[in-house]
Amino acid sequence: MEAAAISASHVHDDHHHGPPPANRSSRVEPALLGMLLFIISEIMVFGAFFTAYFFIRVVADEGTWFPVDGKDLPKLIAGVNTAILISSSFTLHWAENALKLGNRRAFRAGMVATFLLGATFLFVQINEYVHIGFSPQDHAYGTVFYGLTGLHGAHVTIGLVLLGMVTIRAFRGHFSAEEHRGVEVPGIYWHFVDVMWIVVYTTVYIL
Amino acid sequence: MSVKLRNPGWYRAGLYVVLAAVLAFGLSWAVRAAYGHDTYAHFLDAESIVIIGMIALPLAFLVGIGCFDYWFYWASGRPTRPEDHSGHGAHSWRDYFRPNTDHKVIGIQYTVTSFFFLFVGGLMAMLMRAELAQPGRQFVDASTFNGLFSVHASVLIFLFIIPVFAGLANFVLPLMIGAPDMGSFASGWTAYAPLSTTAPDGQVFFTIGVQFAGASSIATALNFLVTIITMRAPGMSFFRMPLLAWANFSTSLLVVIATPFIAASQFFVLLDWALGFNFFNAAKGGDVLMYQHVFWFYSHPAVYIMMLPGFGIISEVLAVKARKPIFGYRMMAFSLLAIVVLGFTVWAHHMFVSGMQAWIRIPMMVTTAIIAVPTGIKIFSWLATLWRGVLHLDTPMLFALGFLTMFTLGGISGVMLAMVPLDIHVSDTYFIVAHIHYVLFGGSLFTIFAGVYYWFPKMTGRMYDERLGRIHFWSTLIFFNATFAPMHLIGVQGMPRRVADYADQFAGWNLAISLASFALGLSTLVFAYNMIASWRGGARASANPWRALTLEWQVSSPPPVFNFDQVPTVVGGPYEYGVPGAVHGIFGPAKPAEVKATPAGTHAEPVRE
Repeated sequence: MEAAAISASHVHDDHHHGPPPANRSSRVEPALLGMLLFIISEIMVFGAFFTAYFFIRVVADEGTWFPVDGKDLPKLIAGVNTAILISSSFTLHWAENALKLGNRRAFRAGMVATFLLGATFLFVQINEYVHIGFSPQDHAYGTVFYGLTGLHGAHVTIGLVLLGMVTIRAFRGHFSAEEHRGVEVPGIYWHFVDVMWIVVYTTVYIL
Repeated sequence: MSVKLRNPGWYRAGLYVVLAAVLAFGLSWAVRAAYGHDTYAHFLDAESIVIIGMIALPLAFLVGIGCFDYWFYWASGRPTRPEDHSGHGAHSWRDYFRPNTDHKVIGIQYTVTSFFFLFVGGLMAMLMRAELAQPGRQFVDASTFNGLFSVHASVLIFLFIIPVFAGLANFVLPLMIGAPDMGSFASGWTAYAPLSTTAPDGQVFFTIGVQFAGASSIATALNFLVTIITMRAPGMSFFRMPLLAWANFSTSLLVVIATPFIAASQFFVLLDWALGFNFFNAAKGGDVLMYQHVFWFYSHPAVYIMMLPGFGIISEVLAVKARKPIFGYRMMAFSLLAIVVLGFTVWAHHMFVSGMQAWIRIPMMVTTAIIAVPTGIKIFSWLATLWRGVLHLDTPMLFALGFLTMFTLGGISGVMLAMVPLDIHVSDTYFIVAHIHYVLFGGSLFTIFAGVYYWFPKMTGRMYDERLGRIHFWSTLIFFNATFAPMHLIGVQGMPRRVADYADQFAGWNLAISLASFALGLSTLVFAYNMIASWRGGARASANPWRALTLEWQVSSPPPVFNFDQVPTVVGGPYEYGVPGAVHGIFGPAKPAEVKATPAGTHAEPVRE
């Protein structure tokens, strides 16, 4: 490679057709690094919403929280839903591993399972909104509840779109044991969404 | 025609915008119908259409013009359109008005557009000073005046200072670190046409504008970080990077960490305003003060977003123009990181009189005083760089020296303001106005001028007019001080800011300030004339008129379309001025023997994809 580079440099070409390849000064893939840094930003978005939660729950009104007006949060259903979402992280990891080992069948099955589990979570969450009995307009606690769970729901939706594309591509025969960046990058995002839900669930429902 | 509509470009952007408008109208109409509301009686009342449209239209525009095509292609596994580099580089001035994938063209687009907004913001300041020249009402009523100073601040902060630094860095940084272009992680996606061109005459415009400005500045920051981390030339270790790269690295970290907070704060406002949420409705358990906390948690780090890139520019200019290595290179880099960390611990000093819990005041006062320490390290290192240097007092250097003095003054009044008793005394007076302008005008803007003059030959291939440059500097320095120094006095005497009228006792000073500010405004015209005339017909610039060592000066002026025919190898520090035989970078193994003789750092062999 080194020899090739040197001999190429000796050939003086007037028609340079593109930039020279950039030096890779880090072992981390640019796409992967970009996603990790983006997740820092995402954590801070949630951080701002948690700040609002903290102020409204702790500072403004001395620890008022659900049940408000006799309406409590459905801890049990949300707990089951949490389990559903977390299991999707495991199926995703299983799919990735299968792909790296060259097992395409398991990879596809894992992707479908992950997508369905994520969609189920979103469905249950929307169902919860329909039956919960208060709206964000009713009081600030509702505002924070819908704000935090809704923000997370939006992230689940984005994650599902990404996973959906990966799943469709999996059935079209894309990706291989060597070429799996396109699975890994959305995968990191999905794991982030899952971990963030654990935090949301613990603070909003349990504490 | 249909091909034009399917390929990215202005036509598709136009089509998508129309579609988004239809969507905004249809969605709003359908939802209102579903809830049994009347359809709007008049288009001017159609708030929901406006809101949805303001979110959907710019997005549709960006998608249409092709900002996300690369991503869509990448994500769907279609072959990412083989870069033919036809959209790369500028061959005529018209190319600057098209989307482009060349970081240098994008940089110049950003910079020039930002300067347009500098003049817009400056004109508003002139209007305000005209109103304030005498007590009583002359030109504008109180609410117009309120609008003027709000828009003046928003335009200059969000549409001038922040993007102009991004523009300069976008041009210079890849060249400096030996990268052929910005990050391959998303090539060309900073090609956002600079953001909201809508006149922000309402809170909602501001709110949604901030969302877009925030999203794009996060995107830019991610791009900078990825570029700096993964695309440095071989041999360029972190401690061989020019300090401008360090400064942009720190700034980008700040942007990535802090900007989500202002996005969220504006999101809260939008939800409260448009959908009746209760984040700030105290009657239903909301908390108004929370807005200030979330807002300042972003906006204090944001003042460093507006300052750190300037620190980088000054380090470059001072070392080159004093012909000396920068003093305390490592401390310079570490103090940048220290400012990043400390910047997140001081936000509540903006809220000493807001009615927040009193116990927060003292810790915030202490951290605010502490943050002056890393800044002081930088000031003294710059002074030590000048010590016994061979000073070349041309325009960039004059602006750099002007920055050193003016920013130090602004910094000192900042430390005064950190002290709770003084802050309470001068809160909401012209003392604050004086402080912020010494920091942002005497600080940021002076570094921007220094940077623009310094890299003007590299960006345009022409020299600017040195005589006009000096006239610009001296008139700016004199009238800047004549405008803002007296504000300290009338501030301490109690003249409130943000009012269109004031007590007669301040009339004399205000007249003097207004006159000086008009002269300050005029001095900017010298700059504008110099830039335009020199770009059109200035003397041709040589590749390295300043005899600088950093990599961007080792290529032609303006640089070749792809920056380098070959990625350079870095063999030494960037500021070894006055050290005999010192070299920062060499181009390729031209003489294999020479490469062996110079140990090229400890870095691994370049890995090619």
